[in-house]
Amino acid sequence: MHSFEVEEVKRVGDDFILDISVLPNRAADCFSHMGIAKECSVLTGLDFQIPKTLFKEDKGLKVGSFVSVEVKDKTACPRYFAKAVSGVKIGPSPKWLKDRLKSCGLRPINNIVDIANYVMLETGQPLHAFDGDKIEGKKIIVRFARAKEKMVTLDEQKFDLDSDVLVIADEKKPVAIAGIKGGKLPEIDARTKNIVIESANFNPSIIRKASRKLGLKTDASLRFEHGFDPNMAPFAADRAAFLIQKLAGGKVAKGSVDVYPNKVLPKTLKVDLNYVDSMLGKDIPEGVVKAILRKLGFQILKEEKKSKLLFIKVPTIRQDVTIQEDVIEEIGRVFGYEKIDPVFPLSSAVPPKKNLDIFWQELTKDIFKEAGFCEVYNYSFFGQEGAELLKSQKGQLIEVKNPLSSEQKYLRIGLLPNLLKNVERNINYTKDIRIFELGKIFKRPKEEKLMLAGLMVAESFYHVKGAVDHLFEGLGAAGVWYDEYKPTPEDSGASMWHPKKCAEIKIGDQEIGFLGEISPKVIGTLGFKESIVSFDIDFEKLSRFVSEEKEYRPISRFPATIRDIAVLVPRTVKVDEVLNKINGVKEELVVDVDLFDAYEGEELPKGKKNLAFHIIYQAKNRTLKSEEVDKTQDKIIKALEEDPGWQVRKR
Amino acid sequence: MMKIDLKLLKKEAEKEINSACDLQSLNEISNKYSGKKGKLTLVLKSLASLPKAKRAKVGAEANDIKRFLNSLLDLKARELKERLEKEAEEKEWIDISAPGNKPLAGHLHPLTQARRKVNEIFQSMGFSVVEGPEMENEWYNFDALNIPKDHPARDLWDTFYLENGLLLRTHTSPNQVRYMEKNQPPLRIIVPGVVYRHEATDASHESNFYQLEGLMVDKTVSVANFKAIIGEFYQRFFGKDVKVRLIPSYFPFVEPGFQVDMICLNCGGKGCPSCSYSGWLEMMGAGMVHPKVLKAAGLVPKGWQGFAFGMGLDRLMMMKYKVNDIRLSYSGDLRFLKQF
Repeated sequence: MHSFEVEEVKRVGDDFILDISVLPNRAADCFSHMGIAKECSVLTGLDFQIPKTLFKEDKGLKVGSFVSVEVKDKTACPRYFAKAVSGVKIGPSPKWLKDRLKSCGLRPINNIVDIANYVMLETGQPLHAFDGDKIEGKKIIVRFARAKEKMVTLDEQKFDLDSDVLVIADEKKPVAIAGIKGGKLPEIDARTKNIVIESANFNPSIIRKASRKLGLKTDASLRFEHGFDPNMAPFAADRAAFLIQKLAGGKVAKGSVDVYPNKVLPKTLKVDLNYVDSMLGKDIPEGVVKAILRKLGFQILKEEKKSKLLFIKVPTIRQDVTIQEDVIEEIGRVFGYEKIDPVFPLSSAVPPKKNLDIFWQELTKDIFKEAGFCEVYNYSFFGQEGAELLKSQKGQLIEVKNPLSSEQKYLRIGLLPNLLKNVERNINYTKDIRIFELGKIFKRPKEEKLMLAGLMVAESFYHVKGAVDHLFEGLGAAGVWYDEYKPTPEDSGASMWHPKKCAEIKIGDQEIGFLGEISPKVIGTLGFKESIVSFDIDFEKLSRFVSEEKEYRPISRFPATIRDIAVLVPRTVKVDEVLNKINGVKEELVVDVDLFDAYEGEELPKGKKNLAFHIIYQAKNRTLKSEEVDKTQDKIIKALEEDPGWQVRKR
Repeated sequence: MMKIDLKLLKKEAEKEINSACDLQSLNEISNKYSGKKGKLTLVLKSLASLPKAKRAKVGAEANDIKRFLNSLLDLKARELKERLEKEAEEKEWIDISAPGNKPLAGHLHPLTQARRKVNEIFQSMGFSVVEGPEMENEWYNFDALNIPKDHPARDLWDTFYLENGLLLRTHTSPNQVRYMEKNQPPLRIIVPGVVYRHEATDASHESNFYQLEGLMVDKTVSVANFKAIIGEFYQRFFGKDVKVRLIPSYFPFVEPGFQVDMICLNCGGKGCPSCSYSGWLEMMGAGMVHPKVLKAAGLVPKGWQGFAFGMGLDRLMMMKYKVNDIRLSYSGDLRFLKQF
């Protein structure tokens, strides 16, 4: 509730293991038992005890005679601290230490290595122990690796190094990958007598880079990656020296090597108590705030009572606290968010803006729902199969660099391939499939576009055309027409459409989409038995032609007269052509013309079809006389028969 | 003139009428007595030949009988008609338990329905709905949100990278910066949209899913305000009083940062499998907008403060409709979709 979540509590022997999920910004102080203990003491008020570090130094032994250190890059390695212990006895660790390491998921090795690991768990400071006698020239050099340098780590893994990898080297060769893993060469073994303890600090992004490059993540690299407090180095080394002396004997050499050119000092932050209250939305008494800060170890340097300002010193272990807002978080969480009562904001009530794009999208969805379509959501990816269907656009496909599977190799460049997959999923238990999707497609170089596509199984071209017309009516998009598809030579063979049963959807001279039957070849490849009709519309283009305006047209009080007209025409004549002829007569008495039958059959002359229309006559101001209607009807018949191939059928 | 016993005639007629079994025989009876050559008609026609005194008496009696018979006929006719109608209706009996013929019904995806509801609730609280691109660059997706390159925080978002140098947005948060670049506070927005994570899918994880970003920035927007807005949202979305709690969390683009938990709707906080026996469900990440984010959007952070949140719409939808597998949403399976 106040800091971290405990994921699990497990009983081990007489003890308990708490699995705590530490937030990554608290890695520096809380990837350690001391940090968690400190946190507990802040929240519970219990005392925080620091582990013992009291060891005996041997005045006769100088650390300098065991090791010297040179740091080549001070940014990469802000601090290198080392201690030396001589005359140790290598052996297994005592049971308590082994058990504790095992509980934390570490494998016990020998007393020295175990102590280094144990202290890391305690303090968060990764340590490394070298066999001091195996370091050539007794000199440690912190430098970047040279090209072609190699390294065999403690666990016998071989790595090729390069200049991105920071190493710990002796005079001749790398002996460890800095901050990540030790090398085989200066390994502690049964004969090891003299130990050099490294308690260093490395640059987080350099460790991260190397760790990714080598594909090597360790407890040490994890801690350094998140950034660690260089001021912790001496304490951890002392604690290790204390434990070594206790568990492996030996003499601790006097002094330590410390290369620490730019000391990290505690930050001073200004905390404006008015701002604290304003951010949290709660007036927290000054005394409470100060008590929280003190418990956290933040020293209050100065107070300005009048302006309610505090100046505080933040311990360097709290690497996450760098600005005032970080302090507010500390106050908020320790105080308890549950004690902050909800308050509705008082800010100005500006009415929200209507988002027209979303309005049209939602309207479109409603229109298709009305028309009996189901909305689907598909992945934005598709694989080779999808790409094949849209072969003509292959050059515009965007590839995913790290796809989860070959099925998701590309970003989709069209919605239809995935919609066809949906058919595949459903066809075995229903033929009743009418689906649509409104979603983004992606094109090279960096284009993304909202498209609307859908399909119907076992329906005709005219059904899908009707559905699309229904959409345009609902969106108030006027001037829509259908143009015959004239494929360019390069996409004619690649098209997924039936070459004769498809059309371009146009508004004015703009092509906004496509509709028709899916080519039988594609249907066959997919293994379907039913035909599929579909549409594919550039929704962004369409949105430019939509309109919410609707205007009522008065209904005439006078009755309408309906006359039918049937015309026999060659079968390739389009309904549009006939309609154009009829409408070309420009009679204001004709208020509507409807095709109600289109017939081709054996009774008709070969190569002909019969088209029958209702012609609706109506006047605004009078009941029409039969003669008036006849006169106009005759004009229409005449116009239709201008073409010698057309024949109006009289009954 | 024939001698007719009117009383007898009345009796006979009455008997016949009462025993008529259908309209046709009733009609015949009617003709038999009051038709052109009907018995009663004949009596009435013969009146003229009677002596005056007798004429009046017989006439009155005959007319009475006629009236009586007519009303009797009417009554019987009505009765027979009703019976006929009833019989006809009887024949038209249908099985009302047989299923109806449904009109062709379409269905909106449950995520669309959930999103509409969310949008509506936030709009009523003054939030505008905006959208942003799905292909993002590293700046908006990471750097501008205080997630620098080579920072372990980037590991929190597993990312799809594209060959054109862009990436698929891992959250809707880039729109905080995109929006604030063009709009000066005070502002309140929500940004719904699909986001992408490079992670293996299972019942509760998808590589494509929907998120809803929220952002409110003004002079004094506080944690308390956030609690009020988000509490109101959940209450209205789920239609019941729901308890919400904030737990400290870490997202680089907010400070303080928290995780919002909601009491488990399934068990009411007692603990059950759907909340892993904790009584709480993790609903979203949120916090107070980090000054670096305001700065990245070109604002001077001083004087502006606000909250931001990001919630998973799939999760919300799944809880509302008790859907147990996130992958169903993207399966295109009509057996799933037609339930909504």
